[in-house]
Amino acid sequence: MRASLVAVFILVCEWSRVEIARQPGLTLAALVVGGAALCLAAVGRTPEELGLGRSRFGLRVLGGIALGAVLLLPAAARIAAVPLLPAGLALGAVVVSIGEEVAFRGALYAALEEVGGAPLAILGSTVLWTIAHVLSHPPEFLGAVAAAGLLLALWRWACKDLVGPILGHVIADLAL
Amino acid sequence: MRRAALLAVAAILYAVAAWMVTPGFYDGFGPTQPYNWTCPPPQAGANNKPSSGHLVIKVIDGVSDANSAFTDDGQLVMGFLPGAFVVDGKTSVTVDITPLASCPQPPGIQFVTNVYEVTASAPLNTAKPANLVTVYSNLKPDPSGIYQSQAPDGPWNKLPQSQPGQPFTIVARTSTFGYFAAGYAASSPQPGAVRVGGGQLLPIIVAGLIVVVVLAGLPLAIIRRRRPSNDKDG
Repeated sequence: MRASLVAVFILVCEWSRVEIARQPGLTLAALVVGGAALCLAAVGRTPEELGLGRSRFGLRVLGGIALGAVLLLPAAARIAAVPLLPAGLALGAVVVSIGEEVAFRGALYAALEEVGGAPLAILGSTVLWTIAHVLSHPPEFLGAVAAAGLLLALWRWACKDLVGPILGHVIADLAL
Repeated sequence: MRRAALLAVAAILYAVAAWMVTPGFYDGFGPTQPYNWTCPPPQAGANNKPSSGHLVIKVIDGVSDANSAFTDDGQLVMGFLPGAFVVDGKTSVTVDITPLASCPQPPGIQFVTNVYEVTASAPLNTAKPANLVTVYSNLKPDPSGIYQSQAPDGPWNKLPQSQPGQPFTIVARTSTFGYFAAGYAASSPQPGAVRVGGGQLLPIIVAGLIVVVVLAGLPLAIIRRRRPSNDKDG
């Protein structure tokens, strides 16, 4: 029940954010408010349940930097192909990155893990992550989106950590 | 060990999937559909040719109806107010939008979209200019305006910009038909040049990240081996 509610809440947040961001002059506001709203999915969870405990913090930060490098590598190898992102969207990129990680790999992962263990948490969070991006990405991009979601969810499972995915996601979005 | 192997497989899977699409899909900051180029830039990947558009506008009681002409791929839309045309007894007005087969590069201007030719069977009423919306790609710098010319080789004039459009669109008003393209003055700084990161710096950023991971990871790993942690973080 909790997993379903969290999933629906996240989808509504993500799709609303995309639709509102398409309105003239509302892009940055939609990103910031939408990203912050996603964090509400974690209400009632302890930091440890979300993978935000403080132990091995240095290693987890390092893991986040490594994840950022992995996420950026395909773009870095094709310098000329890197798109131009307006600088004004930087704040939005940071807030959305944090919100999405807290929602998908934090709250949703924890809720699904309680229901069906790690396999359901990994696959379920990856599937919902991909569905959540259907409105904002052309269909041909969804394979890469799903693969990124799977990598981040596997990190969450393997290292019981959300600091790495948050940092990696923020680095990747900002660098692009 | 099994977890590390799975992570490695996922990383490789991601690299392959990300390699197959244009970079920069993170969080959908780009346009929702890839731009259809007449002359695609090298990084565009698979490309569809841009579409043309055709519209017939009714004339009722000597006044042309409100309507919008657009290309089938939606990359150029021109909106007309009621009475936007000087109809001179016509019962209908036809508007045609055709992407130019070539890509002019006039001196002093950098175009970041295709050039479109817009023609109509009646001239516009200068008191009721048409609203022109052009979609642009995130593979080139943001345009600063829409330029218009009566011939493909110029001269090109910048149209007065209208209200802000949706992301990755630019809006202007025009009182005449002709050739249209979005771009920026080559002498001015590129509007899209102010960047968060990426571009030519991206390989350096990634190399720096890898160096940090290696340099900081070694001592952390050594410390961890010497002082095995018993904590089980959630």
